Amino acid sequence: MTDVQATRDAACEPLLDASHISKSFGPNPVLRDVSFDVRPGEVHILAGENGAGKSTLLNILSGIHTTYEGELRVGGVVRRFLHPKDAVRAGVATVHQELSLIGPLSLIDNLFLGREYTGRFGIIDTRRQAREARALLRELDLDMGALNEEDPVERLPISTQQLVEIAKALAAKANVILMDEPTSALREPEALRLFDRIEALKRQGKGIVYVSHKMDEIYRLADRITVLRDGALVGTKPASELPARKLVEWMIGRDLPSREHTSALSGDVVLAIEHLSVRSAELPDADGRPDVDDVSFEVRAGEILGLAGLRGSGVSDVLHALFGDRAGRVSGNVLLRGRPEVPDVKGRGRKTEERIDLSRDLASPDEAIDRRIMLLTNDRKGKGLVLDMGSKENASLASLPRFSPYGILRDRLETSATARVFGQLGVKGQVDAPVRLLSGGNQQKVVLAKCLLTEPEVMLLDEPTRGVDVGAKAEIYALLGEWARQGMAIVLVTSELPELLRLSDRILVLHRGQCTAEFSRAEATQEKVLHAAFGGSAQLGDSPSTQPDRVKS
Amino acid sequence: MNNQRRFELCGIAMMALAGSAMVGCNKDAPPPPSGDSPPTAPAASAAGAKKHKGTPEDPFIVGMSQCNLGEPWRAQMNDDVRKAGEKHPNLKVIFKDAQNDSLVQRSQLEEFVNQGVDVIVISPKEAAPLTEPVSKAFHSGIPVIVLDRALLKEDYTMFIGADNVKIGREAGKWVADALGGKGSIVELKGLMTSVPGQDRHRGFLEGLDLKAHPGLKVVFDADMQWLEPNARKEMESALATHPKIDVVYAHNDPGAHGAFLAAKQVGREKQMKFVGIDALPQEGVQYVKDGVLNVTFQYPTGGEEAIDNALKILAGETVPKKITLATRVFTHDNAASGGNAIP
Amino acid sequence: MKLLRQLLASPIGRAVLALVGMFILGLVFNADGAFFHWTTHRDMLRQLSVYGILSCGMTLVIITGGIDLSVSSVLAVCAVGFSILTIHQQANPWLAIALVLAGGTAVGALSGTLVGRFKIQPFVVTLAAMVLLRGLAKHLSGGQKISTYIAASDRSVELPAIFEGIDARVLGDNVSIVTLVFLACVAVSAFLLGHVRLGRYFYATGGNAEAARLSGVPVTRTLVLAYALSGLFSAIAGVCQAAQEQQGDPETGSGYELQAIAIVVIGGTNLAGGRGGMALTLVGALTIGYLQKILSINAVGEASRLMLTGAIIVCAVLLQRRK
Repeated sequence: MTDVQATRDAACEPLLDASHISKSFGPNPVLRDVSFDVRPGEVHILAGENGAGKSTLLNILSGIHTTYEGELRVGGVVRRFLHPKDAVRAGVATVHQELSLIGPLSLIDNLFLGREYTGRFGIIDTRRQAREARALLRELDLDMGALNEEDPVERLPISTQQLVEIAKALAAKANVILMDEPTSALREPEALRLFDRIEALKRQGKGIVYVSHKMDEIYRLADRITVLRDGALVGTKPASELPARKLVEWMIGRDLPSREHTSALSGDVVLAIEHLSVRSAELPDADGRPDVDDVSFEVRAGEILGLAGLRGSGVSDVLHALFGDRAGRVSGNVLLRGRPEVPDVKGRGRKTEERIDLSRDLASPDEAIDRRIMLLTNDRKGKGLVLDMGSKENASLASLPRFSPYGILRDRLETSATARVFGQLGVKGQVDAPVRLLSGGNQQKVVLAKCLLTEPEVMLLDEPTRGVDVGAKAEIYALLGEWARQGMAIVLVTSELPELLRLSDRILVLHRGQCTAEFSRAEATQEKVLHAAFGGSAQLGDSPSTQPDRVKS
Repeated sequence: MNNQRRFELCGIAMMALAGSAMVGCNKDAPPPPSGDSPPTAPAASAAGAKKHKGTPEDPFIVGMSQCNLGEPWRAQMNDDVRKAGEKHPNLKVIFKDAQNDSLVQRSQLEEFVNQGVDVIVISPKEAAPLTEPVSKAFHSGIPVIVLDRALLKEDYTMFIGADNVKIGREAGKWVADALGGKGSIVELKGLMTSVPGQDRHRGFLEGLDLKAHPGLKVVFDADMQWLEPNARKEMESALATHPKIDVVYAHNDPGAHGAFLAAKQVGREKQMKFVGIDALPQEGVQYVKDGVLNVTFQYPTGGEEAIDNALKILAGETVPKKITLATRVFTHDNAASGGNAIP
Repeated sequence: MKLLRQLLASPIGRAVLALVGMFILGLVFNADGAFFHWTTHRDMLRQLSVYGILSCGMTLVIITGGIDLSVSSVLAVCAVGFSILTIHQQANPWLAIALVLAGGTAVGALSGTLVGRFKIQPFVVTLAAMVLLRGLAKHLSGGQKISTYIAASDRSVELPAIFEGIDARVLGDNVSIVTLVFLACVAVSAFLLGHVRLGRYFYATGGNAEAARLSGVPVTRTLVLAYALSGLFSAIAGVCQAAQEQQGDPETGSGYELQAIAIVVIGGTNLAGGRGGMALTLVGALTIGYLQKILSINAVGEASRLMLTGAIIVCAVLLQRRK
């Protein structure tokens, strides 16, 4: 673990010293007199709830916000960044939470964007760039699957793109690296590899500012922890002097009650999936294997079934296939038992039991929604929200027929239904303002509201708390528990193992599209799940990075 | 944020300035200060009542609407009108270009009426859409002179134009003579949905008198829509399919010129004669002088006559309902001396 | 000053500000007082109407994130078709209108199917449609203008009353009927966008088609309907155009699609889709209408007119950039 003693000794001149930083957006103060510094060879965690001011502080340090009060010193020299490029030149590199890669450009082009090696007449030295890029990829042990560094980055999965984002910052040869939730799209083994790199950077004497919501990450990495709350500094302490309970107390200003998942009375089987297979969309690789390979399982009313797996295991594909989003590539049967007294979203009657042949029926998401199956995707900005529309309009989008008899929208129906759901979920903010202005946690709640308004009997959740702060996470966990209690069947995919273990009644593990293990709540542990996720071939205790799992994107 | 607002205010200021600059620079001479306040509705004055005194301080206003300025012949017409107008300081001409859109031309007529011009001169794009608008303008009390293309009714003061049928006939006669009654002819036609095109075609056939000259044959004809590039393309097709061509008759000089270039490209330009119509001094006449065309027939614009007659109308004189302009023929011998008139 | 800031903050405020600026320009350069006559404004509205009707359909399509370059050709086909039916075939005018409107809608639906179901880019589909339909117009009309003079039999017929009916003015000669048609089209489109489920689906599809699809929005059907409606509006415009020209001209309307796009853009609706609305388009239409009228009554030459219009479009778009 981190050697606090060593870093204490190394602390001399801070690499970065921000003193008495204040900033307001119009009349709203966002940061109030915050002081913060980064020492060489340390990982300094910046923690706080959403809206606490972490992103704003980070944006000031990286040169995005140029107007603020207070002083910034880099390497002892007073600086005022007028542009992100100034920050990079001063040796401060940033890995943003939102990917800033340019999709159609290759990985090499993205890595060197703005810092190209140019010779005479501005001609780019592509060979040198390619060489450096490949070396960096090897260092990061980035597995690109069937693609290489010349391919457009948009074809890489989100998790790999995030690693490229990190590589970009590392390539900039900075002294201070700011990371804003860098593992939000990564699966466990990739996150572990990132942590190894961070250790290496520490040994080189770099300073790292790391924003995260994940408790185990915080305690694994932190040398010191700084907590912000409502724009003000609550305190800075070495990690060893700040236990988790206190940290949470600092963050939310009150003690968080521990939530035990009360096991719900599981009812009848609501969803029985037989021999589900999903063909791959891309050209077949060496194995030619499908994304999902003959998976069968059941889900009961009132139960939370967790699906676990590495990238490429097919867990997301399972959810999408059940939602009608893999039409043309899917085969298998689903036996769906609904409650006939509840009509579908369009108000039509339903059968008690329906046998669905996935190769023919369920050709599109709206057919799934009709059958009261709803999906929450893992990419709320790209696939979950229409960013220019307001929260109310986003929330009502999947159940609009309910609010528009004969096609004419009834504002009163829409407003009252959405207001009710927003109240239940604790969504803050103006309902008519574009959702792009909301915080990550609130955005996720809007998407959940949308799902809820379709009155689903089966809820498919893909990374429901990705990019969401601690307070909101707790609220979402409570909601899931409540929905399960009310009889909803929930299938949950999450790459956060603690979350998986805490919420699931049962856990199914997939490896390369096949089911390798099933655990009940009582018998599941993180080690067993990971073991099965690796195909059961890795020995317990091996570092995951020595098992290069050849997975497809 | 402040920058953004400043930028936006600049944008508005830019628009206003740009607008003022353009409009200001392109107006004709600033309007003379009139003692009357602007009327709230245009008065339908009785025929003959003038709104301007017709002196250099308060000149008569002539509103001229040209269907398009893309054709050189029409630019020439406007030029003739302008030159004639400049000779009379008690006259001012406002030019509007309808960009070949009938509805635009219609609204230009409405604007002239609203503005209270003294005479309207119009060279219409086509007959059907403009017959009613011209009629309305005429009945509102403003004299209307129509140039070049006829309308469906005769609700105007006078029509000035040349006789395209006669010109076509003269061209046909010339061709029949030049070929001695025997030969292969290519006809490159103007827009056949326009009356001049139809007339020049009809007249040409009359002049050729195929019954009397059975040796004459039109081996290829195409509609090049008055445009030189189109004529060139059509001529290339003709050259490819007909080894022997004796005469090329194009409905206008640019068309004949395009045909000449096509023939020259394959080295056959000396094997045939080229006949055009329009005879603009810098275009068709020059071509004849240069030996590109063998003959061209003048299609007078009538611009000068329009101004002369406008003045007569304003002076209260009666003018004929229709003036048919005479044509001239230009060949290599007489081009320098201004061609020969055709009776 | 605060009012100015508030106005500048919203898209509709900026659009109105541009319109006011144009109006002031007219007051200054009033061409001997012509700008103060109601007739000038009435005629401006009439001139604007056909472009305005096209811009209604264009707004809908642009909101879905697409574009429709074929509106001018659909207009021409419908103008020709309408003229053939009423002038040459002497058919019942209302039947002719219904047939032509149905035809335009069907053609639009075809484009929409290629865009929505076969996923071809709207620019490409409607460009092809633009060319093909222009050819169809020329084919249907035999290359001639369909007017009361029938060349084949060298005789003239009477112009059906419907032509003058549409081209007339009402309310004491103060408002043109085509202007009323235009305003009706604006009202219907505005209602669709604001209060009808399909309109909400337009915004969702244009804003994020994938998110819309995963929310159960019938994206394909939505796109087909958007283009079908554009076809319908183009057909309405075609009938109005034929009435005003008193003929069915296969060449008519050339370049009108760019005018319609300019109107939508100047109004402030974003070409990327997902935002905007009919209020913006209406203001944009009036702005362009006044601009062209002011230039016309001041007899500004074509060269200057073109350059100025281009410059104004750029300025207007710069003005609309969000913070």
